[in-house]
Amino acid sequence: MNVVALEYTKQARRPRGLITLGVLGILTAVLTLVISVSRATIAERVGDFGSVVSNTSGLTMPLIALSATLLFLLPLAVAIFAGETVAGEAAWGSLRYLLARPVPRWRVLAAKAAVAAAFSIAAVLVVVVVSLGTGVIAFGWHALTVLDLQHTSPFIVASARFPPLAAIGRLGLATAFVLATLTSTFAFALMLSTFTVRPFSAVAGGVGLSLFSRALDNVPGLHALSPWLPVTDSGTTLWTGFFTRPMQTAGLAHLLEVQAAYVAVFLAVALARFARADILS
Amino acid sequence: MIAVEFAKQWRRPRTLLTFAALAVFTIALTISLDASGAGRIERVGDIPLLVVPDRSGFSVPVIALSSTMKFFLPLAVSIFAGESVAGEAGWGSLRYALAGPVSRTRYLFSKLVVALGFSVAAVVFVPVTALAVGTIAFGWHPFTAIDGSSSSALHTAVVTFGAGAALGRLAVGTAYVMGGMTSIFAFALLLSTLTTRPFAAVAGGVGLTIVSRVLNGDYLPGVSVLNPYMPNNDVDLWQHFFQQPAQTAGMVHFLLLQIVYVAVFLTIAWWWFMRKDILT
Repeated sequence: MNVVALEYTKQARRPRGLITLGVLGILTAVLTLVISVSRATIAERVGDFGSVVSNTSGLTMPLIALSATLLFLLPLAVAIFAGETVAGEAAWGSLRYLLARPVPRWRVLAAKAAVAAAFSIAAVLVVVVVSLGTGVIAFGWHALTVLDLQHTSPFIVASARFPPLAAIGRLGLATAFVLATLTSTFAFALMLSTFTVRPFSAVAGGVGLSLFSRALDNVPGLHALSPWLPVTDSGTTLWTGFFTRPMQTAGLAHLLEVQAAYVAVFLAVALARFARADILS
Repeated sequence: MIAVEFAKQWRRPRTLLTFAALAVFTIALTISLDASGAGRIERVGDIPLLVVPDRSGFSVPVIALSSTMKFFLPLAVSIFAGESVAGEAGWGSLRYALAGPVSRTRYLFSKLVVALGFSVAAVVFVPVTALAVGTIAFGWHPFTAIDGSSSSALHTAVVTFGAGAALGRLAVGTAYVMGGMTSIFAFALLLSTLTTRPFAAVAGGVGLTIVSRVLNGDYLPGVSVLNPYMPNNDVDLWQHFFQQPAQTAGMVHFLLLQIVYVAVFLTIAWWWFMRKDILT
């Protein structure tokens, strides 16, 4: 536990983590501002089939903010935290002194991973909490109405209405699920971090995984591959199923399994590499 | 000078790997289409064009170009442009290259010409391979597509192009995609003069396409004002060449925008490279 506490202090003192979280918070607040100024009455698409009108309730803002940031900003933040772990230390030249202490290497890696995971969770929470806070200030604490475009036709408007507390509960579920979809990116960046001494390469590689995977996902004709890719359009929008009635849970378990498999492989490689790498910096 | 550069780049495994990867991609795409039901309708692009792959070999280049233009082609172009100067610096051979009695302007220019040649080749390579593989798999037939934007439940807008017409439109479309890649090319080249790490320049070039796409009104509400000025958003407009009549709205604007970006990036690259202290 000491190792974790030490890592935490070290990371918390470095401006990088706070700047990343701060920028996410500011961007989220700006998003609310822009929407409240220019398009509060327009329906915003959320995921593949959801649609919300912002000025009906402040609770719509977390949904809009999550769909906007899940494309790039959240994977980037997660890759920054995971990619900097070992490579950042190596770039500072302090890795070999760190490992000179009588602590097994796997514990060092576990401590670094735990702290990076905590910061990554914080990044997602910042987006959710800031958008919820600013949304409630701008549009008030009302019941959340989500239009289900999949089932809406010219004859029937399919929508689900959630009282504020129920909406918060579902938002909690959705947030937890969003976190799970980011784990493969996290594990991949962590793995790269043990291979390179340049944090930038590890961070770019982590973002690269999500881009590469998404690019493959969008190739017509490679649909057969989609369910097995680490990051897909349908996978990152699956959480919107929590905001339908009845809740759509198809595919959730499969996605979690796929994530778990990728995470297991990436972490195992990271551990194997870090346990025996010659540390030169 | 250009010949020397060309010979140098051509022999590097990176170049061949990039082309090999693109070829493997198109071949895998065709096999996968063939294996997973080529008789079904595929949606292509935002219009969308609805295409049945096994009706004509031309469907493969259309699908291949659509699925590479947003990531794989920008990546290939960034690799060629981003490696140009930074690759030399990464090898530590830049200062020896510049010690020769050649002006830096000419040196940068020959790097640019060679990288540009390879980038153009990469963009052409994808539809050409795809057409070849597609013709082998699905035959040389007229290309038929359903124009999803003009179709309704009561009316299906089918467009058919003879092989010659399809080839012509594909060529114009490829040229348009090429034009759309120039801002990325210039940005990666600019980064290549700024850094000694080729990887950073390549990642930066890809990063520009990503930033461009993230700041897109489709994903991020409120930034729609920026849409017409983003360097990479409208690269998919070439698909409108396959509507009847071809919808060319926005294309000229996008190509002019590319020229502006290219001019700015290249000027900065040149200005920086002329003054830079070369330490590697």
